[in-house]
Amino acid sequence: MGEGIKLAILCCNYTNLAEREDLYEVPARLEIKRFPCGGHIEITDILRAFREGAEGVCVCACEQGTCHNGKGNERAEKKVVGARAILQEIGISPEWLSFYYVPRLDAEAFVEDVKAFFSKVLKEKVEERGK
Amino acid sequence: MIIAERRPIPEILENIAPYSRVLVLGCRGCVAVCSAGGDREVAILAEAIRLAREREGKPIEVIERTFMRQCDPEYLEPLNELLPQVEAIVSLACGVGVNLIADLYPSARVYPGVDTSFYGANVALGKWVEKCRGCGDCIIDKTAGLCPIARCAKNLLNGPCGGSQGGRCEVRKDMPCVWHMIIERLKERGELERLLEITPPKDWRPAGGDGLRIRVRPDLA
Repeated sequence: MGEGIKLAILCCNYTNLAEREDLYEVPARLEIKRFPCGGHIEITDILRAFREGAEGVCVCACEQGTCHNGKGNERAEKKVVGARAILQEIGISPEWLSFYYVPRLDAEAFVEDVKAFFSKVLKEKVEERGK
Repeated sequence: MIIAERRPIPEILENIAPYSRVLVLGCRGCVAVCSAGGDREVAILAEAIRLAREREGKPIEVIERTFMRQCDPEYLEPLNELLPQVEAIVSLACGVGVNLIADLYPSARVYPGVDTSFYGANVALGKWVEKCRGCGDCIIDKTAGLCPIARCAKNLLNGPCGGSQGGRCEVRKDMPCVWHMIIERLKERGELERLLEITPPKDWRPAGGDGLRIRVRPDLA
């Protein structure tokens, strides 16, 4: 049932070099949106991704201490906290929004995180349908 | 500055439930500085409203604008063009802005997007603390600039109370006792005798007890 799920991945351009081909093991419709820095990812970008049909949104930023711009990655994490609160208020499970610190330019770690997120969303979906 | 906080989104959604075109209107004054109602918060709320309404199967058109201020009539003038385009306004200004829109544009259905909380200072990133209650009769000339009306849970004019322990307030342990601070500061300055004078009961009429407060400056009016 995973193929029907749409995931949006919002990431720092420097965090991730992986393309869709690298994520062939994830049986979901993937949309990768790159930003100049994790600090550029706004709460509105996250909400818009949900509005554009994503059932899960994953925000990825550089590992702590490695952000080109100092604290862009920490800002991204805080935006995710803010977006989760809004999602909860409007009745969307905050579990469908995840944040990962990803080693810079390590596509493998990024792919593993996307896989883990996909499994989490899939599990939530299955549980939701079972209710 | 005036500190405000966004109202719960379900309450905002309930207010605009009958409408399909609304204006989310921010203010670049105090509420922008306290991150409750500036351009960014307008964009976030507008997007949240669109998302929530699409999930309800009742899509909504949301126009986003932020005015320089909502507490001056001249800054509200663009509403003349905007009002015919929308059915309702969600204002992220403080209560002053919402009231002024309601006064000047009686036909506009204007709803508050924030709760107006207090007059406060930005003491750290993302943290605002009350410093003034706008009681209209300052006594901080006698209290080393620290206001016991705003910062003492009992609004004591002659403090501290018997509950102050170790410099902390008995009402809330995370709150410093402002009277302890006042006494320590005056002691350091050698001005403790200032407190020998008993402050009489406060006249609360300037605080609003006498009805609507109005200030007129004759040389400008």
